[in-house]
Amino acid sequence: MSLTPEAIAALVRPDSVHRRLYTDPDIFALEMQRIYGQAWIYVGHDSQVPNPGDYHTTRIGDQDVIMVRDTNGEIRVVYNRCPHKGAQLVAAGSGNTGKFFRCPYHAWSFKLDGSHLAAPLRKGLIDTNYDPKHPDFSMRPLARVDSYRGFVFANQSPEGEDLLSFLGGVTTSIDNLCDRSPVGEIEVVGGVFQVMQQSNWKVFYENLHDTMHAPVTHESSFMAARDKAAEQGEMPFELLIMDGNGAPWEFWEALELVAYPNGHGYMEAIFDPAAATRDPVSRAHFESLSKVHGEDKAREILGMNRHNTIIYGSGSPHTVFQQFRVIRPVSVDRTMIEIQTFRLKGAPAEVFDRAITYTNIINSPSSNVMPDDIELYRRCQQGNATNGGDWVSHHRYVGTDKTTEAGMVSTNGTSELPMRNQFAAWKKFMLQTPAQENRHVA
Amino acid sequence: MLLDRTFDVSTVPVAGASLPAEALQSVQQFLFHEARLLDERRFDEWNQLWAEDGRYWVPRRHDQENPFDHVSLFWEDAMLRDVRVRRLNHEHNWSQQPPTRASRLVGNVMVDGVDAAGHLIVRSSLQMTEWRLEQRQFGATVFHKLAATDDGGWKIVLKRVNLVNCDGVFGILEVFF
Repeated sequence: MSLTPEAIAALVRPDSVHRRLYTDPDIFALEMQRIYGQAWIYVGHDSQVPNPGDYHTTRIGDQDVIMVRDTNGEIRVVYNRCPHKGAQLVAAGSGNTGKFFRCPYHAWSFKLDGSHLAAPLRKGLIDTNYDPKHPDFSMRPLARVDSYRGFVFANQSPEGEDLLSFLGGVTTSIDNLCDRSPVGEIEVVGGVFQVMQQSNWKVFYENLHDTMHAPVTHESSFMAARDKAAEQGEMPFELLIMDGNGAPWEFWEALELVAYPNGHGYMEAIFDPAAATRDPVSRAHFESLSKVHGEDKAREILGMNRHNTIIYGSGSPHTVFQQFRVIRPVSVDRTMIEIQTFRLKGAPAEVFDRAITYTNIINSPSSNVMPDDIELYRRCQQGNATNGGDWVSHHRYVGTDKTTEAGMVSTNGTSELPMRNQFAAWKKFMLQTPAQENRHVA
Repeated sequence: MLLDRTFDVSTVPVAGASLPAEALQSVQQFLFHEARLLDERRFDEWNQLWAEDGRYWVPRRHDQENPFDHVSLFWEDAMLRDVRVRRLNHEHNWSQQPPTRASRLVGNVMVDGVDAAGHLIVRSSLQMTEWRLEQRQFGATVFHKLAATDDGGWKIVLKRVNLVNCDGVFGILEVFF
């Protein structure tokens, strides 16, 4: 079946999607062009490249790219390809390339913005069509690069809305993450985990706001934490963050799920202004913010108690414990998650200790919580490959979501609004033809 | 507290140790016995091999200095080891159905010396073949810090597992190395 606009549109219903969205390699290839080729995708945080010449390699969809800080301090994003023979300019990872990139194959060199600098034995190129000023002889930059409060995004398409319009209301989560620092700045430190999931990338996005799975999927870990806490007569932070999934149905129903255009959104934890003064770490954090902003503002910042935020196509920041689970699609049934941890500049050291502990316990490959998620994503991938049925249900509370100025909000915390919102964005991008596709045809 | 920075994670000896042949053999047998308990998923018995404040550590980086300023693949005290075992034994542990099976080969056992508290520092090599839906192979250099017990046995104060691929991409790691 060819992927005509009509065929694509028919795969997404208001309350369900066709299983091919998760299993068809042709759809995955088209997603790389139409979603990862047109949406703004998180590349990295500017703290990962603090000095000129610092670079960090990463991926936008199926494209290897380099984030680099140029000699003027500006951040550039270029494809990791030498225009000569096509070799990757730098190996995967981070480093400092000095004042220019130099290809390890034939020593063609490029300025930090990717433009051509020199090729050795130039006389051999005289009287040819070699033109150092022509883009064919430079590293190609991403069509658009922009950042919001240190979060660097790139877009492979020269057309479409700007970064701020694309993000819409989800900037409130980025703001809150940064505002938790008394000086309003954060940095990626303490290392990054990379975890491979044996499932399609969209399954993880759906799961991030799927409140109905928590008490079912995570029974083994919240019961282990709960039993241990009962035995020792206390529930320290390490166990508390595993225990939460075992909350009763009423808890989940009372939560609010907020959806913004382009598939973004967040899931609210219980709003509790007193949380800011209850435990010693939060109290120290509250005091450090109060000194700068006063108590009311400090209470407002720490009172914005959100669980997972979703920036569709990029991943899931967690504001309260300063993480970003960056979601990188690898193939139709493989997805790599990169887990970054942030330090809030100027905040008490124990706030970062808590972030590291949260990363280790919840988001590490050895997490006691995540294996049951990953197992279920894999089972969805396997189950959707069978002929046992064609549709994946997102029916919960369909038609009851309320429209707000910035997007939509659930009337019940177990609503599948987030999934419906994500697939509305999926459909929108998949029905748009990127400028690059047109160029290839022409 | 998990991030108690006074915990001595160093595996660099402050002094040498000369062990009689029988003691060296008992250290080897202790490591082999530990591997066997893990192979046979006798996790509760494995937990009994530990000193009260013992820590299990699998660093994320080669030459990682400590588990405090940087994330680790595992950094577990008695409470967290026990929680992991409880989860592994829970009847609704979906990701352990079928369970992880593994075979550990421990060799190259050498006593490096003692740490500041007099714990024996033992270096060994680990090869582990794991099976759950697919086969995985792990290789590691392992450092044990062992405290002698009154009855002539050993308790684990620190187990540091330096995986050759510690900085790589991982699937889920559910059982102990």
